Amino acid sequence: MSDRDPYEVEIDAWMQQFARMDDRRGPLPDASTLWVKAKLMQSAAAMERAGRPITRVQIAAYLCVAGGWAALVTWKWSALNAWLNSLKPAHIILGAAGAQTANSLSLTFLMALIALASVTVMLAFHTILAEE
Amino acid sequence: MTADALILQAPLLFRAETSRRAPKRPMDEAKFEAFYRKTAGRLWSYIFRMTGNAATADDLLQKTFFRFLRSNPAIADENHLRHYVYKTATNLVFDHFRERKRHHDVTFDVAASPSAGVDLRHDMMRVFAELKPQERSLLWLAHVEGASHEEIADAIGVKAKSVRVMLFRARKRLAGILTQRGLAPEVRHV
Repeated sequence: MSDRDPYEVEIDAWMQQFARMDDRRGPLPDASTLWVKAKLMQSAAAMERAGRPITRVQIAAYLCVAGGWAALVTWKWSALNAWLNSLKPAHIILGAAGAQTANSLSLTFLMALIALASVTVMLAFHTILAEE
Repeated sequence: MTADALILQAPLLFRAETSRRAPKRPMDEAKFEAFYRKTAGRLWSYIFRMTGNAATADDLLQKTFFRFLRSNPAIADENHLRHYVYKTATNLVFDHFRERKRHHDVTFDVAASPSAGVDLRHDMMRVFAELKPQERSLLWLAHVEGASHEEIADAIGVKAKSVRVMLFRARKRLAGILTQRGLAPEVRHV
């Protein structure tokens, strides 16, 4: 193929004529408006990027608290189950072994319960205040 | 400045200089407005010729400059910046066509000509619409913007070695369409 192909001159003339045609019927978008919009979009994107680690930590905290509750309930399931059963009317009337149930719920369990409940309340408050 | 003078300047406007390690300062609003005033009109014409729709051209022009500003451009080389906006615009136009194809809407938006006075423009738009988007882009960048083969290759995402053959085919196809429709160009020799 030669350096100048046989269609180049003809097409160049046509393209130049085509390019000279005036198509716009209205003004172009304003440059300063574009500038402001672009900067706003950049700020919004930066804020979203900055918030991502905080969101991840929040989700991890929720999972840890949920896991803590699951572990606590599993650890003392038999005692909790017995305590729940002791609340049934039939059990109360028949005079079930309420003292035995109370002994299963040790001080360690109660301290763990209080700690986990406190963390849950703090996380809930943090979520509510963060949303506001 | 007349359109003819602008077109004659096209090779200078699109010349990509080899990279000089000039200190890069981010572009401020005043510099952006100056760059926008020089570039936006011609870029809009390019996008309009590619898509055939003025509203789409307005939308894609804005998106092009949003992406341009998001990239935090430096002001070391204006020709390089101009090449960058054309490349961005070309990508957006191709994305636009891909999206329309996905929705089975492949028609070119050439509005009906309301009066006899714009018949030539309408005919030329219809002829241009018969080309594929890549062919339109090749021909416009080569003949109107005076881009080099390397610049064209970078803008449309092909190898530089392929551009010469692709241009030849695009010109041949356009010449065939013009002959078929009896629409020979008015000026035979530049």
